[in-house]
Amino acid sequence: MARLIRWGLGLLLAGALLIAALLLLPLGEWLPGGTVGEVPTSAVVNGTAFNRLFPAAEPGEQLVFTQEKRGFSQARLKQGEATLALLAIADTATAPEARQKFDASAETIAGWPLVEQGPQASALLVAERFQVKVIGQGTGLDELQRHELLGAFDLQGLAALQAPALPQRQAGGRALNRAAEDA
Amino acid sequence: MSATVLERLERLPRRNLTVLALRGISTLVPGEWRNLTSADALISEVIGSDDPGLIAQVRARADLLSRARHEGYGRALSLYDAVDRSQRAGGGLRLLASVGGGVPLLRRVADLTPSSDTLQAADLGLKVTAELLAFTQVNGLPGDSFGDFAASLAEYGSEARVRMAALVCFDALLPLGDLALQRLDELLGRVGQRELRELPAYRGMASLIPGRGEQAHLGFIRRGVDTWLGWAGGFVSGLGLSGQKAVQALETSLGPWQGRFEQLATFLDVFTDTYRHTGTQAVARRLVERAAAEI
Repeated sequence: MARLIRWGLGLLLAGALLIAALLLLPLGEWLPGGTVGEVPTSAVVNGTAFNRLFPAAEPGEQLVFTQEKRGFSQARLKQGEATLALLAIADTATAPEARQKFDASAETIAGWPLVEQGPQASALLVAERFQVKVIGQGTGLDELQRHELLGAFDLQGLAALQAPALPQRQAGGRALNRAAEDA
Repeated sequence: MSATVLERLERLPRRNLTVLALRGISTLVPGEWRNLTSADALISEVIGSDDPGLIAQVRARADLLSRARHEGYGRALSLYDAVDRSQRAGGGLRLLASVGGGVPLLRRVADLTPSSDTLQAADLGLKVTAELLAFTQVNGLPGDSFGDFAASLAEYGSEARVRMAALVCFDALLPLGDLALQRLDELLGRVGQRELRELPAYRGMASLIPGRGEQAHLGFIRRGVDTWLGWAGGFVSGLGLSGQKAVQALETSLGPWQGRFEQLATFLDVFTDTYRHTGTQAVARRLVERAAAEI
């Protein structure tokens, strides 16, 4: 009998230890998954597709790619050592709120809505999905130069990208928006 | 839930030994070094505006991105943490060995610690590997060609110049001497599977290093170091770095030092965490650049 109790206690202890370890150790950080805004990666266009759509550098300037992730690609426009601007294309699938600011936009480039964000950033929404942005760095670029850069992206190619459908939650939101516009 | 990248940036010390050591070493590098610990200042510098609404948007986006494990920003920081723990442990061992050498009872301990140069080389190898892994975690594989990727690495190197100078001076030139870079490959050749397994940082990093088993990991580390050596050699000769110059630069901020170079290196290993400090700042900048483009 005593032996049975000993075994039972031992098993109980082992079980408790295992459960405590699973609960307390930060194992979650190393598990796969954990995507931005819990949007599955398959619903986001890979950043590789954006790279070839960036504008070519003018003579005396270089374009250096700095980040490429799911749904995002970014490059720096450099003149010698100085960074003139950050150029980026982002899939707004994980950031539906980023699309809202374009509702109020009056200006367009190549037919796509244009928005200014502060004194140094201009953004363009292509095909209601992809945000193209130019952020001036250091001494910066004026508005006209930023708009020229935005126009130099391959916007047609970007609009023609095969994008997976937006996740249901946001598609529903968009339908609501459209209904509101119609009303 | 663990802290986000920007929260960790704001927790960095404003003035301590680490900051003083970095300030000293930054005098060797062109351009001014600022100890950036304010997330809002970083954001407003990147977006060129101090509109609180915009800053709050960027910050919310950055926090969302750094909580997403898939994006790798948090993973890069845990790499730096692992390296930092290892550095302290390794430094502690060496401190014990150098103190213990004089105390009869502790001499046994001194005999047990592996040769200091080999350990130091393994430590540097792991740091360089962590740097390469963290780069791909944070930035992905930018560009469409190998040339694009190399340009991207070089760009990162010049952005993180003070970080690289600290790595070269504190972990190579001071402990291993001015010929450190030339000797490194030979020293790494002496690192066996057992030494590697004993490094605490290796345990934290093993799952992220490509390849299976210690032998494959050692191969990866040596290849990574080879790549880095090409760049670091140019960096050292371009800036004319040497152990002597590093000590002089450190003396401008830390005060006079009269011991040997490797004792200074051990002291820095135990009492500073420049690698994690500048690493957090570098990751935070890339994160904010992305968040600013996505809001």
